[in-house]
Amino acid sequence: MAVMVCVITSPAIVGLDTATVQVEVDLRPGLPAFAVVGLPDAAVQEARERVRSGIANQGYRVPPVRIVANLAPADLRKAGPQYDLPIALAILAGAEQLSPSAVAGVGAAGELALDGTLRPVAGTLAMAEHAARHGWRALVVPVQNAAEAALVEGETTIIPVGSLREAAEVLAGERPVPIVAPAPWPPDVRNDVPDLCDVHGQPAARRALEIAAAGMHSLLMVGPPGGGKTMLARRIPGLLPPLTRDDAITLTRIHSVAGRLPPGQGLMSRRPFRAPHHSISAAGLVGGGRLPQPGEVTLAHLGVLFLDEVGAFQPQVLDALRQPMEHGVVDVVRAMASARFPARPLLVCAGNPCPCGHADDPGGRCVCPPGRAETYQARLSGPVADRIDIRIEVPRVDSAALIEGVPDEPSSAVAARVEAADARRIERGQQYPNARLQGTALRKAVSLDGNGRRVMESAMTRLGLTARGFDRVLRVARTIADLDSSRKVGESHLLEAVGLRAYRSLG
Amino acid sequence: MTLSTADVCALALLAHHLGRDLQRAARRAGGPRSLLTASDDVFCAALGVSGAGRARVAGVRRQVAQTDAEAVLKARGITAIGAGDGRASPLLAQAFDPPFGVFTTAPGRCAEAWDGRRPVIAIVGSRRAGVASTAFAASLAAGLVRRGAVIVSGLARGVDAAAHRGALDAAGTTIAVLGAGVDSSYPRANRALRKRIDAEGAVVSEYWPETLPAPWRFPARNRIVAGIAHAVVVVDAAATSGALITADFAVELGRPVLAVPHPPWEAGGAGAVNLIATGAAVCRGVDDVVDEVPHPGWTDLGGAVPPTELEGTAARVFDRIRTCPGRLDELVSHLSLEAREVSAALAELELAGLAVVDAQQRWLAQPTH
Repeated sequence: MAVMVCVITSPAIVGLDTATVQVEVDLRPGLPAFAVVGLPDAAVQEARERVRSGIANQGYRVPPVRIVANLAPADLRKAGPQYDLPIALAILAGAEQLSPSAVAGVGAAGELALDGTLRPVAGTLAMAEHAARHGWRALVVPVQNAAEAALVEGETTIIPVGSLREAAEVLAGERPVPIVAPAPWPPDVRNDVPDLCDVHGQPAARRALEIAAAGMHSLLMVGPPGGGKTMLARRIPGLLPPLTRDDAITLTRIHSVAGRLPPGQGLMSRRPFRAPHHSISAAGLVGGGRLPQPGEVTLAHLGVLFLDEVGAFQPQVLDALRQPMEHGVVDVVRAMASARFPARPLLVCAGNPCPCGHADDPGGRCVCPPGRAETYQARLSGPVADRIDIRIEVPRVDSAALIEGVPDEPSSAVAARVEAADARRIERGQQYPNARLQGTALRKAVSLDGNGRRVMESAMTRLGLTARGFDRVLRVARTIADLDSSRKVGESHLLEAVGLRAYRSLG
Repeated sequence: MTLSTADVCALALLAHHLGRDLQRAARRAGGPRSLLTASDDVFCAALGVSGAGRARVAGVRRQVAQTDAEAVLKARGITAIGAGDGRASPLLAQAFDPPFGVFTTAPGRCAEAWDGRRPVIAIVGSRRAGVASTAFAASLAAGLVRRGAVIVSGLARGVDAAAHRGALDAAGTTIAVLGAGVDSSYPRANRALRKRIDAEGAVVSEYWPETLPAPWRFPARNRIVAGIAHAVVVVDAAATSGALITADFAVELGRPVLAVPHPPWEAGGAGAVNLIATGAAVCRGVDDVVDEVPHPGWTDLGGAVPPTELEGTAARVFDRIRTCPGRLDELVSHLSLEAREVSAALAELELAGLAVVDAQQRWLAQPTH
């Protein structure tokens, strides 16, 4: 038998970026053996068994020789089962069961089942983009990942296949290339997002949600258990303006890399809602790992990051939110690799007013000692305080309001107003939402008249508004004016924003 | 009885190092001077110390005798005013068990405040007071200040803090009596207020400046609060509240006690209601206090603040919360207005000082005096 080396390529995922990995297979005479080299992790090592069974069960023959698979470059750590398919194809080509010219310039990624069928892998969209960018002739992907790979426009032919045999036959030209249509755009969305019409009463909270959504203002909800804070938070994604296609692709890439894209779904057309438990670690929240993986703040990018019981999170975990909330990105630097992930979620926090949760219960059920509620609140707002624009109290709902159950305004009506307010922001020539207005841009967007200045002055003297708090009120007032279709930020807009201010003592 | 500054310091230092009160020992020894000059045996007998404790007491006495207490005070900017000193409160001298003297950082403002030309009113109440009580205490203090009074309280959380704050906001004088040394920053929650009182009012204490707060020192402090005041107003007090101790001291001194009426279903006001039931005067506002306390120092100047002109939604919201406090959501549904209109109106009222929100998130109209 001829001694030969066969090369096929596969894109490796590093953070959200990609790198080309050459999969070389060498078959040489000797005792039958199979080795994988090139800094493989455990999943790649185990590829040997899957590849051997997969090839045999698809009716091909594993050559009884010494097989060495080398993944280059040797200094890049290779992880995951995506190398099963390229290794198998390279063996088939090396053993001349498939013409070596059929695999030249072809990339492949996929996990093999023992029977030789393919299982989906993470990060296919990023891989397809990589293939297109580098002018690969074709990219073979598992059929389950076809929809996301089809989003990429370019010269690369995407070959979605269900098994090793199918892959080999398509590459050999014995079968036509299966056609996959990209996910339709604009998508049909919002039909299964929880609707605001399920929330009865609570006009103040509804209004605050609308303002938060219109300006992407971070929100803190304080109230006793059972007030519906979580219920309200879950409805925010349905109020946010629809995603652009570029944003949807960004989200798809992130969720695909994290292996969290729902099976069969080609495009993340809905804004994400992430609600990590308060026991989460800093790495879980902002991203981490030896090979950097996106954290919750990135998975919630362009959607809602909901921190329930925010007072129960470790302060240093909340502190890790500082960089993403300020710069919109997270840099995860590890010995093996470093990665930059986008992270611009709408931050929504919820907390109890005191440790027992009943400080604002009119029935006086609170069992906390005097002053405890204030210290608890200080701790609750401490690490996140800098990042909160709007604070509201969510009282327990009257049982009457629940029983009467008059359907309230649906999300679609609120979302229409939010979209209109967002359009006015764009009309103004402002690239980013009001929550990110700062310094001169903020002063320019909000010019105060005499009445406005008077309101702000008395807010500073009477309510002890700080410079930071002052800016927050201006930002929120700008959004309220946008919702009111007003070019100018007037007295009533400022007054309402003062009522929503982030700092407020319990009295 | 006249005590020199050195005597006051020596007694306070002894009490500080021994960790106990010397009032009873002084009575047993025939007066504070005699206690100071007594032999160790007599001193220990007066203190009720026998056996092994006597050596320690003698040691403390030697240590105190060697301390230059006045230099310590001077370095810290603290003045001791002994009983019988020209700057001491004449009213306090009449009190039961008057302190040997008081320490203060502002002797001038103290002397001026309690020289008898102005009525001195103590406003006390619960530490757990709700915002309705604290708002009332603050506006009562402000109203009394505008009528010429000095406000005394104990710098505790809740009503005490509100009374001090109200007096300072109305540019008046206020005296805070501590249950610890004047250097103490207890309670920490009132640190900012404490700074304002240091700058514009006076902090006094009968304890040596380094003394830490202890539970038994607060009732003792209350006798000074009652002692330097012409009258005591209890804003709210549960049935076992410490504010009632202040009222008891005032009753024993034959000074007027007033209490703010509360509905019987509010457990937090039961002590105040009990006071009224046993003969305290009802305090509905500034006028009740002025009527109850005959004093030439009351003025008519600057009485009520001119009411702010309200219009539109703000006026409707104000009318509603004056008769029926409620949460934002309740106001929205009662008044059939939009949430944004009501919250803007409430912010306007809050900025005008006409409304406050309590711990239950109910909006209340602020009392205006």
